[in-house]
Amino acid sequence: MKRFLSMYRVEQKLFFRSPDVILFCLAMPLVVFVLITMIAGGKVASSSGLTYLQSAYVSLSTVGICCSAFMSIPITIVECRSQGVLRRMYCSPCSPARLLACDTICSGVIAALSTLILTVAAVVVFGYRMPGNVFAYMAVWLLTMISMFSIGLMVASLCRTTKSMNVVTSLLYFPMLLFSGATIPAEVFPGGLRAVSKLMPLGVGIDLLKSVSVGCYDKLTLPVITLIAITVICGTVAVKTFRWE
Amino acid sequence: MNEPSISVKNLTKSFGDRRVVDDLSFDVRKGEVFALLGHNGAGKSTTIDLILGLKTPDGGTAKILGMDAAKHRKQVFERVGVQLQHTQYQTSITVEEACIEYASLYASPADYHKLLDGFGLAPLRKSLVSKLSGGERQKLSVVLALIGNPEIVFLDELTTGLDVVARREVWRTLKQLKEQGLTIFLTTHYMEEAEALCDRVCIIKSGKKVAEGTVDEVVAASGGKDLEEAYLFFMGEEELL
Repeated sequence: MKRFLSMYRVEQKLFFRSPDVILFCLAMPLVVFVLITMIAGGKVASSSGLTYLQSAYVSLSTVGICCSAFMSIPITIVECRSQGVLRRMYCSPCSPARLLACDTICSGVIAALSTLILTVAAVVVFGYRMPGNVFAYMAVWLLTMISMFSIGLMVASLCRTTKSMNVVTSLLYFPMLLFSGATIPAEVFPGGLRAVSKLMPLGVGIDLLKSVSVGCYDKLTLPVITLIAITVICGTVAVKTFRWE
Repeated sequence: MNEPSISVKNLTKSFGDRRVVDDLSFDVRKGEVFALLGHNGAGKSTTIDLILGLKTPDGGTAKILGMDAAKHRKQVFERVGVQLQHTQYQTSITVEEACIEYASLYASPADYHKLLDGFGLAPLRKSLVSKLSGGERQKLSVVLALIGNPEIVFLDELTTGLDVVARREVWRTLKQLKEQGLTIFLTTHYMEEAEALCDRVCIIKSGKKVAEGTVDEVVAASGGKDLEEAYLFFMGEEELL
């Protein structure tokens, strides 16, 4: 455990040295949140009954997850592989699970930090109070994160080259960021697009988080099972198909 | 009892039509320094990749400490250190962080401060690896190969890109480690390096073994006066002599 921690500390420092992480995971959700809240914070978003402030807080609390899962995790691992860092790691007693766990925890800490910053802004500056149970929300947020990360890890294992990884991550990241309701509130979408957003993995998580945030705990079973299934399937594929080079 | 540290038997590997390693066999005994010599593209790095399990052979076997590296990766690399040609590092990692990270992978790592000292890298602890000179980076990759306190170390073209002083520093450290019982497998383009360090050498041409033995035996068999002449003789480049 002590050995894992020293590896983790180094990797986490490297994460914080990457300007993309600071910009996309930490700064971007905060900026979008401030904009949406200043423009329409008190208005009720049409379909859900949530105000734009309530809706935006929940949605944007998943942007850190989205950035980590579909950008940082696959990019870090695939770049290490194509540059030969993983080839060197192969020649050591380090197991793939340990390496993946380390990078996942680093990304998880970034995602949590992103949400923490957002929460401080929402609660202190804009007077946001969550009607639902905060601990239930945290649990569901964690489940959403783990589930999205497993998709990112699967992409990292399956994509052999930086090129194919860039294509796949762009195909996942931008649609999820824009159309799952993470940045643009799903409430303003036309009906067809809203149906698509509900089918996206991140959209499932966001819907679930919205329900929990307003204290509505019925209809939780299906999305929770969906997220767990994604985690199990993608996580297994990620570990089984992992390649050092 | 005296099982060879590395045992290669009839190793064969082709890429497409090109046979890169051709029925290659040799043993490396415990505590000896062994060099694999040959031209660029002679199959040296591929042979190392096959022994380490980074590539799968088409035929033959390669065992380290009696084990197949691909199957027993963890056990093998707990006891075997590796310096690959062109070792790469994560962007924005410092020298010390690279040492901490690699040391954390082993059950009983060496003291990396001492290793950095021994290779003259101690003042660069806080420097980014990407800002190091070629020679400094090369020395760091040797430090990382030794960081797990290995019984065997693989050094692929370890002194390529090093200046004369740095090369001598590396030689000195390797000789000290040899006295402590370390088995060293290396490849090099410098015959004087092989002469200075090695107990035995194996010369390969297009993946095939053309000579093997102690430096003296190989020189004697060629009729030349030193290893460089012997090397050119076995490579069929006598007209250069």
